[in-house]
Formats: sequence, C-alpha cells, structure tokens
Amino acid sequence: MEDDMRQMTAEELGALCTNLQKACTKQLRNEEASLFGTLAAYYDKQRTIEKAQDLKTLLAAINTDLSNGFAEASNAAEESNDRGTKRALVWGEKASKLLKALMIRYEKQGSALLENTNIWVCEICGFVYVGDIPPSVCPICKVPSFKIHPIQKEAV
Amino acid sequence: MHAARNTSLCTKDCVCLFVCPTGATDTETGQIDFTKCLDGCRLCVDACPSHAIYLVPSVYPAPQEKSEAVRKSLFALAKSKAGQERLARSLSEASDDPIFKQLMNAVATSNRVLAEDCYREAGYILPQSEAVQLWLHNLLSEHEKDEDFPSDAVKTLLEKL
Repeated sequence: MEDDMRQMTAEELGALCTNLQKACTKQLRNEEASLFGTLAAYYDKQRTIEKAQDLKTLLAAINTDLSNGFAEASNAAEESNDRGTKRALVWGEKASKLLKALMIRYEKQGSALLENTNIWVCEICGFVYVGDIPPSVCPICKVPSFKIHPIQKEAV
Repeated sequence: MHAARNTSLCTKDCVCLFVCPTGATDTETGQIDFTKCLDGCRLCVDACPSHAIYLVPSVYPAPQEKSEAVRKSLFALAKSKAGQERLARSLSEASDDPIFKQLMNAVATSNRVLAEDCYREAGYILPQSEAVQLWLHNLLSEHEKDEDFPSDAVKTLLEKL
C-alpha cells in the first residue's frame, strides 16, 4: 500500500468510503453502496473529538488551503495536464472561499446569521448557502437544486 | 448492460411496458427488475417518450492515470478538509447553541464533500478499479485482529466488485 494510504485518519478513510458509496449508488449497485456505508460507519465511530478548539483554528485551516493547498495541487494538475483535477480544484476553491466568508459573517453577526432562515449544502461540490430557498442550480457545479440539501437545526 | 429508470423524469406513459419482452419494466417499486432485463436490449430506452430510461454499464474502463504529484497534493488537500470536518464536528458537539451546531454541521458536511472529491480525482473514482481493490485487501490484513472492523462487509465487497 502507498504510504499516504497508511497514514489516513478516521475522517479521511470515512470520506474515501462515502465517495465510493456514492459511486456505487450512481451505478445502481445498492448492496455494494450499503457495504461501503457499513465501512464508513465504522470509521465514523473511530473519530476523535478535538477539545478546546475555536472558530479561529477552523478559519486558519481554510486560509492555509486557500493560500497553499489549492495552488500546489493546481500546479501539479497543470504540469500533467489533468483537467479532471483542475475541475475539482476550481470547485473546491470556490466552496472553500464561501466557507471562509461564512465563518467571518458568523463572527460578526453571531446567531442572527441563521435565526430566521436555513443553511444548505450541495451534495455534489460542497457549496454552502444561507437563505430560505437554495438557487435553482448550484452556482459552482450547476447541478439542479434537488441535490442541495438543508442542514436542520438539531433539538438540543 | 441493463436498463434503469430515472423516476424523476418518468411520466408514466408506460410504453416500456408495451415493448419489454420479459416484463422487467413492470414493477411495484418504480425501478426496472434488473434480474429480468435482457443485456443490452434497449427497446424500452429507445421507446420511452420522456427519455427516462437509460442503460447502466456492467463493465467500466480503467480510470484515468494520475501523476504522483497530483495524487500527493490531492491527498494533502483531502487531509486538510477531513481535519476541518473533524474540527467542525468537535465544535458542534461541544456546543449547546442550536444555531452554532447547525452552522458547524453544515461546515462538516461541506468538508466531507470536498474531501470525497479529492479522493475521486486522486484515482479512487471507480469502486471496481484496481486501486480500490488493493486498498480493501490491505484493510483486511491490517485489521485481521480487530473484532469491531466490518471484515465481512469488505470481503463481500471484494467478491462483488
């Protein structure tokens, strides 16, 4: 196995599993999708909680992606003329910028940000949207809005 | 290749029921009975007035080759996004403010999608690919003594894919 596969955390392995689960669903292989789901659920249970963190840490991580991570990957994609990777990076960078803007808005507005409205996430590209109704097509990946899902307020 | 119905496009004109030689299109679930469908027949695909039926391939080509540099940088980006998912989940779990929890759950969900897309482009796009099979085999041997690990699920996946 490649070294980078050996050092993966539970969240990374979980994301690899849910990616393959979605791929099986698209191929209408429901049994295989559910088996990847079982494996993803195992990694969900292995997750560790990071204590004493705050929004600043999250914002710093997004900023590192925006200043380094995307640029490094874009250079590599450019070098090998990998248009698929460029596509993922263009979408991912746009979604990351929106996440950053959202964190900054929350720091200023606090709970007022979501008090009388909803928050939505596009299942295809990770686009986040605050508002009552999502746009009819995703502005990042252009998927129709039935793939943009609301994130509910949990009962506490 | 068997036929499948996109139920959000299907307008229930039922022409597929008229043309299907095996009755595979007539089911109570709304989906075609794949076990009855004839490989590559496509009569229903061509007859459907709302273009709601398509063929699902059973064999796929090997995914596009990925350079080592692309793979490495996408794995690094996925690590960062997965780390942000963990951070957002941790912040959500530590809080009892419903709005902050909602916001962090949205951030976590978005980061999960972003990490998934990195793996897709890093060479893990196709469940049937060699890369995925090799990874699953390695997971099995790595977790040989781990009783909580769903070894049976992984073994079934390796048989089916």
